[in-house]
Amino acid sequence: MPQMTPEPKRTNFRHVELAQKILDVAGERGMAPGERLAEQALASLCNVSRTPIRKALQILAERGVVTADAEGGYLLAVDPVATARLEDTAEGDGESEIYAAILRDLSAGRIAENQTVAALQRRYDVSRQTVQNALMKLAEENLAERGAGQQWLLKQFAISGDAAAKSYEFRLATEPLALTLPDFKRDIPAMTALRQSMLILRSMNETSFDRKLFDRTDFDFHLLIARSCGNPFMAEALVNHHRRRRASPPAGHVNAFRLMQSNLEHIQILEQIERGQMELAADLMRVHIQLSQSQRPRLAGRGVPPAFKLVVR
Amino acid sequence: MAPAKTIALFPEASYGAALNCVGIAQELRRLGHRPVFICHPGFSGVFAEYGFAEYQLSDAEAGAPTDWTDFIERHQDAFRQTPLDQLESYVGPTWEAIVDTAMRVEEPLRQLLARLKPDAIVLDNVVMFPAIANAGVPWIRIVSCAETEIPDENVPPYLSGCGDEERGAWEIFAAGYEKTVAPAHKRFASFLGDCGLKAPPAPNFLDPSPWLNLLLAPEIIRHERHQPLDPKTFLFLDGCVRHEAPYAPPRFASHNEAPLVLTSFGSLGAMDVAMMKRMIGVFATLPYRFLVNAGHWRDDYREVPDNVFIDSWFPQPSVVEQASLFIHHGGNNSFCEALYYGVPSLVMPYCWDGHDNAARAAEAGVGQRLARYDWSDAELAAAIEALLGDTAMHARLKANAEKMHKAAGVTLAAEEIVRVATGAARASS
Repeated sequence: MPQMTPEPKRTNFRHVELAQKILDVAGERGMAPGERLAEQALASLCNVSRTPIRKALQILAERGVVTADAEGGYLLAVDPVATARLEDTAEGDGESEIYAAILRDLSAGRIAENQTVAALQRRYDVSRQTVQNALMKLAEENLAERGAGQQWLLKQFAISGDAAAKSYEFRLATEPLALTLPDFKRDIPAMTALRQSMLILRSMNETSFDRKLFDRTDFDFHLLIARSCGNPFMAEALVNHHRRRRASPPAGHVNAFRLMQSNLEHIQILEQIERGQMELAADLMRVHIQLSQSQRPRLAGRGVPPAFKLVVR
Repeated sequence: MAPAKTIALFPEASYGAALNCVGIAQELRRLGHRPVFICHPGFSGVFAEYGFAEYQLSDAEAGAPTDWTDFIERHQDAFRQTPLDQLESYVGPTWEAIVDTAMRVEEPLRQLLARLKPDAIVLDNVVMFPAIANAGVPWIRIVSCAETEIPDENVPPYLSGCGDEERGAWEIFAAGYEKTVAPAHKRFASFLGDCGLKAPPAPNFLDPSPWLNLLLAPEIIRHERHQPLDPKTFLFLDGCVRHEAPYAPPRFASHNEAPLVLTSFGSLGAMDVAMMKRMIGVFATLPYRFLVNAGHWRDDYREVPDNVFIDSWFPQPSVVEQASLFIHHGGNNSFCEALYYGVPSLVMPYCWDGHDNAARAAEAGVGQRLARYDWSDAELAAAIEALLGDTAMHARLKANAEKMHKAAGVTLAAEEIVRVATGAARASS
């Protein structure tokens, strides 16, 4: 039986999400370290009241991203465009921890797709409420759905060995299309902040490459295209897909070299979007997604017939 | 600096040779040269991931893709046999396949080399390709199999799995081997003849390069040769390991602080899912963390224990670096990586030079050999416990690893290859 941290200190994952949003906003507004983060302005930019903003700022302070100002309030302590995404599995955060453990165990083949709250409670030794909240969060990410009675179905297909290939197939069909929809609307501040992060990545080499910063720009870039496409149905499908992709444990290992190439491809696509060359951006996206798929042979060995290919099941 | 040289690397279609060459190519690139890869038909995508140009040889005569189940069913039983019995069931057919490939790629290889115009060719293979001998530039041989590939009176026969003390069995195996490979060798010799080349004496399919031969076998496992290899053309690398990004082990559902054990039998060795499941059953009872390379068959595993993590690919050197034990098939690359990071090996071989490395690991005191199919749960557990608890072996291996790191095998290999490519004389050591 795995030992999980007992009941939480309750860092709500929504506050972590909001803390991330504050960082995104600071990046889009070109804020530099040392600048003051005004609660009221953040509240209106994030469309929430000041109370959650205060909680989110506390989280950022705990992680050293902002510092308390002697005169009250908080100052930005880092360059937001050079900062990786906040981990949303905070220590002592029961819900997020169980959420992550369920995904890890599902992906590692340790637990089955069909689960009940009681079975998960037993496995992780936590309260019913904690399991339920974690399942709700999984459901929001489209990684779980309610079954009959007490049953929950975890979506193994989304994180199985074939998921990465299927995800590329789906994205190849949708993302270039999203770029060429008639109502595509460029979000210039978000693009400018993203480009700065990408340029920071471009200055790194294979040994110094910051994978976490890359993960953030990768997610934000593809999400930005989804949100900007101007068609709510397409936006919803793509946003859901990217969020699920981000929530899932990484499939396979990708070399730093490939990630560096991928960053350059992102920059090229972004440049074409900035210039309004949407067909060209779509073509580059098609190339980008295809290059991202691993072409490595699945099986090799001395004496294995040269034309030998594994039949994909 | 000397002008940049184009170095064509041509590893055989196996991950061991390919990734070994990646390490050398990374260093050639760092030194400002231009390494490019020539790939066997069907074996591409590996080098591009590390940022190298790949040129795949076409193979017009290869028929439709073969169904893997057929190959596996044909060989699964062979992998349970002794090295002597495998001669007929596996080694013979494999040599036939290797010769077939060498003949089929000859023309595309000749055309490709004419286009690439390399300054030198690095051949990491077990067979000669006439196009390389006739390319008009120096070629370098990498012996990425066990040291037994280069025969000597005092070295057990290649692929025999014999130890130094089993001399009685040497002759029987050597005679059996010669007889088994004779038909393939005859075909090969006539093919070389057609290309204007003299074949290596049977049962060899590849002569040493007259320029440079690089061997991987680190000193700690090296054999005492009757006829020492000529230091002018033979160079031992004492480790030749590629650079991979650091590996962050996944969070396990239990035992997160416990020693880490990596199990990998290569992409081919992962095929026996039933045997792997039996091993995982034993792992579940031990207080350690286990990473298991399931290759193509990752999704075949269910009810995985809390202290086990299965994946289809690991950046192996970075994982071995953090492991306390490496369970592998005796593939030479895996064995050398274990030594390079000072990690004991539990070798469970099933074919080719895996048998030789298994024997050598036990003999040189750097690990243990365990028959892949002949073990009880208690025996496997005992072997793992014993190797993890052998502090003297760990200390000796760590000290040796330091020596191997200092030897900087990839740099040495890259510098020597460039020296050959520029036609410079070897610095006297």
